[in-house]
Amino acid sequence: MVANIIFGIGITALTGALATVAGSAEDTESNIGSQGDPNSQVQLAPQMGFLHRIFNKAVAGEPPAYGLWCALGAGLAWAFMAMQVNAVLAIVIGSVLAVLVQGVYATTAYLGRTASLAKFGQPVYVDILKSMTSVTMAHAFIAVFCVVTLCHLINGALGHPFPLPLLGLIWGIALGAAGSATGNPYYGKERQYQNQKFGAGVPISASGNIVRYAEAGERNSLDNGFFTHKIGGSASGICFGLIVFLELWRTILFDKISAGWGAIVVGILMILIFTVVDRYIEVWARKNYGPYMEAKVAS
Amino acid sequence: MTVKVEVIEGGVPHTKIMIAGLVSTLVCLYLTYLNVLTNTEMFAFFGGLAVVSALIWGSHTIKVLCSYGIGTGVPSAGMIAFGSGVMAMLLATKFGMAAPLVALVLAAVIGFILGYISNNILNMKIPAMVQALTEMAVVGALTLMGFAALITGGFTFAGLTTGSVSMLGMTVSSNQISFIGGGLIAVAFLLGAIAIQHPFNACLGPGWKQDRMLMLTAECGFLSMIVAAIMSFALISAGSAIISLVVAIVGWAYAYNQYICLSKRDAAAWLDAKPIPEMEGH
Repeated sequence: MVANIIFGIGITALTGALATVAGSAEDTESNIGSQGDPNSQVQLAPQMGFLHRIFNKAVAGEPPAYGLWCALGAGLAWAFMAMQVNAVLAIVIGSVLAVLVQGVYATTAYLGRTASLAKFGQPVYVDILKSMTSVTMAHAFIAVFCVVTLCHLINGALGHPFPLPLLGLIWGIALGAAGSATGNPYYGKERQYQNQKFGAGVPISASGNIVRYAEAGERNSLDNGFFTHKIGGSASGICFGLIVFLELWRTILFDKISAGWGAIVVGILMILIFTVVDRYIEVWARKNYGPYMEAKVAS
Repeated sequence: MTVKVEVIEGGVPHTKIMIAGLVSTLVCLYLTYLNVLTNTEMFAFFGGLAVVSALIWGSHTIKVLCSYGIGTGVPSAGMIAFGSGVMAMLLATKFGMAAPLVALVLAAVIGFILGYISNNILNMKIPAMVQALTEMAVVGALTLMGFAALITGGFTFAGLTTGSVSMLGMTVSSNQISFIGGGLIAVAFLLGAIAIQHPFNACLGPGWKQDRMLMLTAECGFLSMIVAAIMSFALISAGSAIISLVVAIVGWAYAYNQYICLSKRDAAAWLDAKPIPEMEGH
């Protein structure tokens, strides 16, 4: 009994660590590809006369896109394991093939979006296509590999009844949602609008006027990935890592109490605690960095 | 209130694409039935071709629907297509040889009900909504059936839920190693849902061109077929899976190459490592 719980907690810690790496890589990948909500401004910029050298790969929102990459990686890994291939090799080959699909989707998204903006003079940059796609594929591989591995651990070591591809789908969507919700504001609201007042949001008059020049030369999406990885990527990693860790932790420890209800009650308690903490941080942040206090006094 | 933001200029009319898509999808699905008649799995690749033709029809339907600002984003259309289609497809597989036709009718009914709910109860009031959701549910159901036929060689419920696993030289029947029991249907769901919405999502804008978008759909379809064919190695004989894989790779290479040529044709400029061009007045 105790040995089981210790084993379970060990696996939980391992999956939490994998999830943290996955979250960090996912956010960086999506920022280099301008995926998620910052994408609208990258798409809008040429229409407002601001031509740029930013990569624009809008495959879908991050949750469905990562749902596909992770489900695909898991499905291929499952198929290789069904063919008696060693699990480690199966997961690696499955993730590589899933990432190849991701790369092809990324190139077609960039070419399609840019070609449709021909009226505004936005050119297709072949060097951007080559260098950004390979970097997003590398980050996507880390994310997909970590998610498929943690799904395999959940399925194999913790005995979860769902098959591997279904777990890949669920945790892939969760990964995309965590990266989208946590990491994107840092890219979309701050990095793209460094020329605006900090925390001021995006005024309508500044729409599309994203920062297009770097410290030296013209900014491309690698600069954005480099910048957002420091805080946005780490925050996304902590977010997804906590989601996976706490979810498994409560199941391992409290699942045996009154036929599973123990885990549900603990889950609800955790949601309540997080709600209170989040509200406190929000109020605190508004009070300290709140918007337009001086403007109010001035008017 | 919704405003139609784009119109279809020139190109093949939607009705023609719909009829061609529907007929070719059904024909391809029934061609996979040759597997049963000849007792092989060699014709599984017709399932993949059914997927490609259904997706081409579906992506054009999405173009018709999403030309109105629907307010939920283009990817949502792909999700509802497969969410409604999967119910019809699963139920239809119980009907043996009639499965594709039953899936068509059931999906049309489900899609019609969803379209009615969105337009009249949720008050979205989009003129193309009812027809588009009906079409997309059918596309979703037939695409999933195509994936099922491609990966398992058939579209009957028994074939989709049982597989065999060889252990220590013995072959044991197992529900775990199957299209539905192994969860491969989840992969097929998302492969289709992303492939159906991606072409319009990627090509939207003032310079939208029908031929470029439909070529991209074919590319996405064949790309999905490649990975589905790789997964089919687990469930059908290696020779049959290799046939599917070769067909998929040839189709994908052709479509991808054509799509790049079309993008080159439509792009404002095709530059390699050049600075941002100077615009007049900026």
